[in-house]
Amino acid sequence: MKKKILALVLATTLVFTLVGCGTKEPASNPAKEPTKAPATAAPTKPAATTAPTKAAIDLSGVKLMNEGTLTVGVEIGYPPFEDFAEDGTTPVGYDIDFATAVAKKLGLKVKFINTAWDGIFEGIDKNYDVVISAVTITNERKATMIFSDPYINNYQAVVVGPNFKNKITSFKDLDGLTIAVQKETTSDVLMSNYKDTKTIKLTMSQNEKVTTCFTQLENGEVDAVVVDSTVADGYLAKDPTKYIKAFQDDSEPEQFGVAIGKQNTALQTSVNKAVAALKEEGFIDDNYAHWFKAAK
Amino acid sequence: MKIIKRIVDIKNWKRSSKSITILIIAVLFVFTVLSILKPSEKDMMEHASPQMKQIIEENNKVDVKDEENNSKAKNLIITYNDLWVVSYVSFTTTGANAIKESYVGFLGEEYNAKSGMAKFSGQMINYTYRMLGCGENVLHGAKLTLLLTTLSMFFGFILSIFLALGKISKNFVIKKLCSAYIFFFRGTPLLIQLFVVYFSIPAIFGFSWKGLFEGSGEAVYMGAFVAALIAFSLNSAAYCAEIVRAAIQSIDKGQHEAAKALGMSYGQTMGKIIIPQSIRRMIPPLCNEFVMMIKDVSLVFAISLMDITTISKTIMSSEGNYLVFVPALIIYLIITAIFTFIFGKIEERLSIYE
Repeated sequence: MKKKILALVLATTLVFTLVGCGTKEPASNPAKEPTKAPATAAPTKPAATTAPTKAAIDLSGVKLMNEGTLTVGVEIGYPPFEDFAEDGTTPVGYDIDFATAVAKKLGLKVKFINTAWDGIFEGIDKNYDVVISAVTITNERKATMIFSDPYINNYQAVVVGPNFKNKITSFKDLDGLTIAVQKETTSDVLMSNYKDTKTIKLTMSQNEKVTTCFTQLENGEVDAVVVDSTVADGYLAKDPTKYIKAFQDDSEPEQFGVAIGKQNTALQTSVNKAVAALKEEGFIDDNYAHWFKAAK
Repeated sequence: MKIIKRIVDIKNWKRSSKSITILIIAVLFVFTVLSILKPSEKDMMEHASPQMKQIIEENNKVDVKDEENNSKAKNLIITYNDLWVVSYVSFTTTGANAIKESYVGFLGEEYNAKSGMAKFSGQMINYTYRMLGCGENVLHGAKLTLLLTTLSMFFGFILSIFLALGKISKNFVIKKLCSAYIFFFRGTPLLIQLFVVYFSIPAIFGFSWKGLFEGSGEAVYMGAFVAALIAFSLNSAAYCAEIVRAAIQSIDKGQHEAAKALGMSYGQTMGKIIIPQSIRRMIPPLCNEFVMMIKDVSLVFAISLMDITTISKTIMSSEGNYLVFVPALIIYLIITAIFTFIFGKIEERLSIYE
């Protein structure tokens, strides 16, 4: 009977330890406070002080989930496009900076909703206004949603390890090799097509996450990784000694756009204007350089 | 009252409970002392190198100044993790040429977590902190796992009693209905059930889960939590129903007959004789189901919730560090150990009737 006490003590210890770490008061340090929400805090200011520039893009007739806020759906976990910073709560990445800049151009605040890739488009106009999450513009997708003008070009690339000897000038040179791709991506579709039509012989490892592909390459389990060129650039920039980009297919660019609900054409017009303005200012190029190019 | 009296009456405690209590108090005491001696957040922040301090300064300036001409937003992330006796701070810039500095604080000392043991402990602190969901609301990490498991098992168990009674009932319609329910939920994957509850049902009936919490900043996640709770409860009810049914039917037929001979009604027989006896037999398989549920809850990754598994996968995909799974396993083991212990105690306590 008295063992119940013991159980009680143990249970309270559990509660104590779990709660103990959770009741921390954030923002006790002034240096920390502003960084808590770099994306949300900053853009509000220009909206208030720089009314003339804001008026450049007309937002009348645009319907938003929350007044004055652009709510963005992202699948966080696809570096360097979108990722959590080390604090586990701050989203960082190319798309995050891009979305923040677009919202700022529109004179809106920005709010990110982290969501799973499955069903991400179902949530448009339900849980968020737009999806900015490395979404490739395809004709199939255009049937159910509309896109802004593209904000980044993407190609298919082959990445190999430093000890790779052969030369690769087209995807056909991958004949007889073992490659890794991320499941259900353009790379997967492309390489499966090569394999299924028996154009070349391939052993394919289809992974859930793109990191797995690169880990497999590093561990020598596969000979090459076929992946989006942007992702490849990101990995190469981080680890120039480990990976080499052997080939990039420049013939067929894919383009990433902002996915918007079918009814929301007014928002599409405004976002297009914002993207055009950002291109003109050079932000798009700067942002690309910031996230994908290693300093020489 | 009785419990308090028993706790106060230390002299009559069992020896084992005494020693374990002393051990726990000692551990808590050491923890408290260590956490008091830990360097403060301010000390840790001041440890940044001059170069990093300059970056911090610049970033603060950007924040204060109007950003009209500066379309590049701030690009510094400061992480401060306070994990009981140790703390970890890191300053990271974003982009391809990121600069990172990190420090581990322990016992009044700060260690540069650039390499070796300090780096390893820094990573472990950061990962553990994130997976426990520290400094966040209950919809994160271990807190989410615990809450979702406990609530789903609670609602699932209550529902399962009715299902089990229905399945052994003599009424043909009720019996078939309950059997069909159990057949359906045991015969389809939990992940698809979760998808149906979260995606299909709102689409068919024209509502949104988020709409239930309109106005809250976390409405999307709260909606997802409710959907997950419903799916997991319905699913665990089906499994628990079979456990409950088996336990009830394992009670000797003679008990039913004896109750009948005493003139008891069906409700009385079940409520006073059969179910109290069968509860003890349910405990081991229920514990099993509970432990399975702790791990099944990781399926919430599919509907945007961040439990222990999802967080470890996110860390894996952003840092490519396979060591992240070590703290994840340890956290799961601790949770499982605690619940196994509690169920063991309940079983022991109920065994006196056997």
